[in-house]
Amino acid sequence: MKYCVETFDLTKNYRDFSAVDNLKMKIKNKGIFGFLGPNGAGKTTTIKMLTCLTLPTSGTATVAGHDILKNPNEVRQKIGMIPQMVSLYGDLTVKENIHLCGDFYGVPEDLRDSRADELMEMVDIKYAENKYVSQLSGGMKQKASVVASLIHQPDILFMDEPTIGLDPTTKRILWDLVEELNSEGRSIILCSHDMYEVELLCDDVGIINRGVLAAFDTPQGLKDTMIKERKNEKTSRSSNVTKIVDEIQKEASPEEKASFDKIKDYVEKKNRDSMELSVMINNLDENVLSHLKNLPITYEITKQHSGRIVIDMEDSEESVNQIIASIIENNGNITSISTKDPSLEDVFMKVTAKKEEVGEE
Amino acid sequence: MVETKKIKWMFKKDMMVLWRHKPRLISLILFPIIMITLFGYGMGGTLTNIPVVVVSQSNGPVTDATLNAIKSTNLYDVTNVINDPTKGKQMVMNGQDKAAIILPSNYDDMQSQTPKNVIIDADSSDQMATGALIPTTQALFSQISNQIGIQELQSMGLSSSAAQSSQIQVTSQTPSQVLSNPVALSSGINFQNIVNSINFQINKLYGNISYIDFLVPGVLAMVVLFSCMFGMGESIAGERERGELARLFMTPTSIATIVGGKILSKLVQETGRAIILIVVAIALFGIVIAGSMLLTLLLLVLVALCFVGFGIMISARVSTQEDYMQMVQPITLPMMFMSGVFYPVETMPWIFQKIAYILPLTYANDALRAVMLKGAGIGAIWVDVVVLLGFTVVFFALGVKSFNRDV
Repeated sequence: MKYCVETFDLTKNYRDFSAVDNLKMKIKNKGIFGFLGPNGAGKTTTIKMLTCLTLPTSGTATVAGHDILKNPNEVRQKIGMIPQMVSLYGDLTVKENIHLCGDFYGVPEDLRDSRADELMEMVDIKYAENKYVSQLSGGMKQKASVVASLIHQPDILFMDEPTIGLDPTTKRILWDLVEELNSEGRSIILCSHDMYEVELLCDDVGIINRGVLAAFDTPQGLKDTMIKERKNEKTSRSSNVTKIVDEIQKEASPEEKASFDKIKDYVEKKNRDSMELSVMINNLDENVLSHLKNLPITYEITKQHSGRIVIDMEDSEESVNQIIASIIENNGNITSISTKDPSLEDVFMKVTAKKEEVGEE
Repeated sequence: MVETKKIKWMFKKDMMVLWRHKPRLISLILFPIIMITLFGYGMGGTLTNIPVVVVSQSNGPVTDATLNAIKSTNLYDVTNVINDPTKGKQMVMNGQDKAAIILPSNYDDMQSQTPKNVIIDADSSDQMATGALIPTTQALFSQISNQIGIQELQSMGLSSSAAQSSQIQVTSQTPSQVLSNPVALSSGINFQNIVNSINFQINKLYGNISYIDFLVPGVLAMVVLFSCMFGMGESIAGERERGELARLFMTPTSIATIVGGKILSKLVQETGRAIILIVVAIALFGIVIAGSMLLTLLLLVLVALCFVGFGIMISARVSTQEDYMQMVQPITLPMMFMSGVFYPVETMPWIFQKIAYILPLTYANDALRAVMLKGAGIGAIWVDVVVLLGFTVVFFALGVKSFNRDV
């Protein structure tokens, strides 16, 4: 099986509002897939449809090779689900809840007990097995929910914002668990707002916005696409400027034409070969700044906050050396320096903002 | 497909939750006790010690005898004997007393031809007290009037035994015959008083059934109705709202299994509650179940099953407990009043009677009263049983069919 999830025009409407709109998506088997989107974008509705917790209005999907409409019970048997809201019985103990789930999945009793012990040890909740779920903290409840969802050893684990509100230690335990489960050959589908979490864990990422799949790639692929898009945008901006300058040049004198040529060269170069360099200088002053601004390789200093500057400059190794040399010559102390590549968050912001604009048109 | 092991788990889970939720458990036991006690003492008993003031405007043996008769009747609690009718009326209007019994100034004058008008100023804002006071007071003065009649006959020279035989004779005569008796007419006695001495005989076909006896079967069915309907709100809509039901829906489990588990645990709880209710009614009010105790219990189980089905049907599509309660209240409260729990259906306006016969609680009351009061067997209540079974099947079918798995 190549894909653990495949959707075919999956749609969910609530009256006249379309929460998920003709979603077509293929999620690789045995991978970790990050499902992103702003609040209300349709992530949870999609997950609910894929886990057979709600019926689609139209379209369908296959999960673990089974159609969600034709064979929902086969789908349920193959998947585990850690929902956003912990859904265990508060008046039962952790162990009773896990046993209940095991029996509802038809796990034989001896296997159920040994697996429950093993999983509870793994997520460090064994010591609280006889506590009522209502008495547990949010993190412990989430751990119990994880064990209850894994008791039948599902092939696919759906996690809907599982680390929201958890402390860093508990988050780390869950991340380790996700990686371990994946290494055992299970597919993980992770809904999250935590970009760091997604970048750390996921092989592929899908971004949904207004019920439509707005982007789908590896995290690096998404970032590379964004870099390319930025470059394309700049090139197009530069050609627009060149066209305008060409029009003006037609009626200009030879001296004026020479000046316009310089402007065109500058704009083309800036848009063709520019990069952003983020530098932290702990004794940043006007002297350092003015020298940097006057360097021929510097196009613009775009951000300046508490000693951090972002320099829009020529894209070359030599240019970086010149910047460093200029700062040192003017007695600046560099504490950190990095090229500013787009992050997954930048991609998310751009993708969802783009769709926002389209939606508002 | 219904899976037994899962149903057992749901039953076990509900029982564990009930046991661990002590307030819920206590309420389960106390609710029927409180209901039957309230209805028994509040509505099923006889009224006694109603405060009254007697306004006596005359003196003499008849007045004294009348006062003694009033004081010895346990319906009255004579708070005062005064001689000012206006003051007596005022005491009633102030709320000190429920009625003023005003004896006229010629009450002791045996020779007077003027009618002796006894007036009762009653607090008609209290229907219960007034309703009990008026017939009892009428009966009391009818008796006193009769005694005066006998005394008058005696004073005319007839012996006591003749007077008694005269009374017996009058009892068997029609009013027109009495009025045509020339001896009686010439004595100037108020013959209407003598006519009042006729005794009525009442034959109670099912023994001396008090209101509490009538009420208990209805209250039993009503308690089952309320606990099933409200209980299903917590059991399904509540679990749905808290996301607990979602956990079960994530597993390969059919709706029929989930509904089956809910029915089993609710039935056990309701049967326990019905037993408590019957035991309390017997212990506190000495009610007697004329028919089979087993049939009574089986009927209660059927009634519970019917209302659990009703609860499932309503909770099938609602997502919160509040929504469920908003839907249930407009159904259960009118059903309680229209299905003959407190008054026989036949005494209600015709439109309510028509509505009553489309309500399952009416059939539950009818069957339970037939078994508990008349000692009826299954042969006499089969129509009620069939109708209740029909309602149950329809409720479950609609409930399971429309059950919303969406969470």
